[in-house]
Amino acid sequence: MADDATLRRLLAGIARGEADQLAELYDRTSPKLYGLILRIQRDRASAEDVLQDVYMRIWQAAGTYRPEAGPPLPWLCTIARNRAIDSVRRVVEHQGPDLDTGEDWVARLIDPHDGAAAFMDRSALLACLGRLDPLHRDCVVLAYCEGQSREDLARHFDRPVNTIKTWLHRSLAGLKTCLEAVS
Amino acid sequence: MSGGGAPGPGPTPDPELRAAEYALGTLDAQERAALERDAIRDPETAGRIRAWERRLAPLMGAVPPVAPPPRVRAALLRALPDGAAGAGDQLRQLRLRLRRWQVAAAGAGLLAAGLALFVAIGPSRSPAGGRYLAVVQGGGAVPALIVRVDTRTGLAQVRPVGADAPAGRSLELWYVGAEGPKPLGLVGGAPSQVRLPHSAAPDGVIAVSVEPPGGSPSGQPTGPVIYTGKLIAE
Repeated sequence: MADDATLRRLLAGIARGEADQLAELYDRTSPKLYGLILRIQRDRASAEDVLQDVYMRIWQAAGTYRPEAGPPLPWLCTIARNRAIDSVRRVVEHQGPDLDTGEDWVARLIDPHDGAAAFMDRSALLACLGRLDPLHRDCVVLAYCEGQSREDLARHFDRPVNTIKTWLHRSLAGLKTCLEAVS
Repeated sequence: MSGGGAPGPGPTPDPELRAAEYALGTLDAQERAALERDAIRDPETAGRIRAWERRLAPLMGAVPPVAPPPRVRAALLRALPDGAAGAGDQLRQLRLRLRRWQVAAAGAGLLAAGLALFVAIGPSRSPAGGRYLAVVQGGGAVPALIVRVDTRTGLAQVRPVGADAPAGRSLELWYVGAEGPKPLGLVGGAPSQVRLPHSAAPDGVIAVSVEPPGGSPSGQPTGPVIYTGKLIAE
């Protein structure tokens, strides 16, 4: 992993077309990004394709990174998450198995694996998630960490898709209100 | 998206919740693409998405890292344009020349990076005729290319107007649809005709990237995307 200043320096080098800087950024950040991708895109070969695509995008878009957009690591992770979600949403007809890995994501959040400082406002989000109905909270966390679609969640919780949608909307609205009050 | 249900837009949902569900990841492919298109045009939408991405970002701290297999790194570095490794003066010069295009693209309200470079723009009303026009621009007022597309014949006429390739580089034309960029060929000085990929649809975008002489070695854009244009129904 790497501190913000290092990652910013590498992004600036990549924006100048320096491939060695991309290689260094890859070495420092790819385990984190691959971890995120693999939780969402379970097919390893596809996950590897997504990872490579993400770094090609970083190669092309490094010049558009602005410090105002927040620290560099969440910026990179967001690109990876979005591409991983895209890759699983594209295959719409595939009725996957129940994707639940039994992972307790909220517990992991309390004791995160790495660079907690890179992901700001952890305690605020945790507190606000804690105020949600436990089922609704699980729904949000499974969607975010494992890329589950509304349909996946409907199967997982054995509820109609519309109920899931309502849960998600209620939870997201609740989170926003809570986060605004906390910060 | 299950079982051939109506894919229509339906009633427009609360823009705040759309952005929130985008960041959460629960929109389906069409809803995601539609919102990304909106975000290019509307800074408020882009801002909402960014705000939600930041709100939820702490959850990413909960996901453990996994070392990817070394072949990904090797493939990534192979896919970079020739000469990039040295970061030679030529490439540096090129980057400087292109910076103003990149800044223009950044100003367009990039979602978390890369996105806008690849975003499909549209959908245009889909007329029976299947004929579309793309005026491909790089952010300035002057068009670089005019591309006339006929989705029935699968052919596109390309007319360069002001597209000049930097010294020692080629400009490559791409069709970017739901499946990602597909190469259409190199942009020369003279008008030319190219064949569209089978999957080409009117909601795609035409883009031009800077590549090593002869075009991208990997079949994917490797250099900066300097021009993009959406298809407009004729």
